[in-house]
Amino acid sequence: MSWMGPATLIARKDLRIEMRTKDVVTSVGLFALLVVVATSFSFPTSGEGRQGVAAGMLWMAFLFSCLLGLGRSFALEKEEGNMEGLMSSPAPRESIYLGKMLSNLIFTGLVEMAIVPIFLILLQLHPGKGITLLVLTAILGTLCIVTIGSLFAAMAVNTRTREAILPVLVIPVAVPVVIASVKATEAAFLGRSVASAQGWLILLTAYFLVFLLVSFATFPFLLEE
Amino acid sequence: MAVDADRLTDEDESPAIRKPNLKLWAGLTTLAFLTHIPLALFYAPEDVAQGAAQRIFYIHVPSAWIGFLAFGVVFVCSIALLATSKRKWDDIAAASAEVGVIFTLAVVLTGPIWAKASWGIWWTWDPKLTAVFILLCIYLSYLALRQYVAEPLRRARFCAVLGIVGFLDIPIIVMAVSWWRGEHPSSVLVKGGMPHKDLLVLMMGNLTFTLLYITLLKTRIYVNALKRVKQEEIAG
Repeated sequence: MSWMGPATLIARKDLRIEMRTKDVVTSVGLFALLVVVATSFSFPTSGEGRQGVAAGMLWMAFLFSCLLGLGRSFALEKEEGNMEGLMSSPAPRESIYLGKMLSNLIFTGLVEMAIVPIFLILLQLHPGKGITLLVLTAILGTLCIVTIGSLFAAMAVNTRTREAILPVLVIPVAVPVVIASVKATEAAFLGRSVASAQGWLILLTAYFLVFLLVSFATFPFLLEE
Repeated sequence: MAVDADRLTDEDESPAIRKPNLKLWAGLTTLAFLTHIPLALFYAPEDVAQGAAQRIFYIHVPSAWIGFLAFGVVFVCSIALLATSKRKWDDIAAASAEVGVIFTLAVVLTGPIWAKASWGIWWTWDPKLTAVFILLCIYLSYLALRQYVAEPLRRARFCAVLGIVGFLDIPIIVMAVSWWRGEHPSSVLVKGGMPHKDLLVLMMGNLTFTLLYITLLKTRIYVNALKRVKQEEIAG
């Protein structure tokens, strides 16, 4: 596919910047950890039903840290006319979207991989067999948030409020993702199998596919200067 | 197309603002309300279980209908805007979103009043109420976005993208919140349990509110256009 080549180049550019500065993964990773810490004090984390509370806490951490990373990632393109540079390159507009999406997916994935083990220990959760469901839900849920988040982050950095409006745009639209991910993660924490949360996983997949298509169709309009 | 790629285009070069026939639409709306209110209060049979409180139904449901209609109009105009970059589509979408938010707010406000009277509680995370509430949040963020982008073409396109995403999200939201509560919402109308007289009053309500929607939409488009001309005058 002709989109993939330039997209990987853009994603690799982001990764190279990250390798040198380690700005995003450290700040976003720490932020995610702190969300977990702050919420542990805010909600009951022991006794009956704690798996449900823990699932909610985990996704709050995922959602907010993903938004933070996305805002940062697109603000970077805004500086010193980087976006104009990307637009004057022969890369199709769709590739810019795909590239930014890929790099953010990797950043968020890394942060999540670091957070989940700590989270499981801190909250004394034993997913056991549910670990497959947990991983699958994390992948699908993150895909959904990054898909819609990359689209809106490209808009947000070009508004008067910059990245500040990003959560306002993403959170209402991402409500189905939050519901489905939290419910599936709760089942995972209870040690249930993938089949028990099948409906939620299908919903996440459908959401991802619908909004990936919409993003591909509409993203080029966001870049017109 | 190529010449105007960097700005919104008007229908003609000298866009004289046409004043809509607001007297006609406001008159029709008033007449419809004068028919609908007595029908809802006296003609519709009293609900056996809920008594008079159930009559809020005839405001609640038509408001919800207008909410969906208004956001549907935003969706269609958003696609048209991205395809043509014509200013009129942005004007209609903006006005329709404003009016839609007001009616959705009416749903979210009349819902709890009704709930308090018939269930004894102000709010419940009932699938339909929840879905409408999320919908309200999406279009509030749409109106917020309009405030934060100054450049007209960019604002129009950004909002169009949100208008498309928000509308396509509605069925997914409804699905997610119904599964979340472990209930499957079914409309009263689909169940076919509605008496003939109630249905007639409900239809009259939908017609009345649609007329009100058209009147408000035309007014907002007109006012927004006047505002724009004035701002351009000041800016020189």
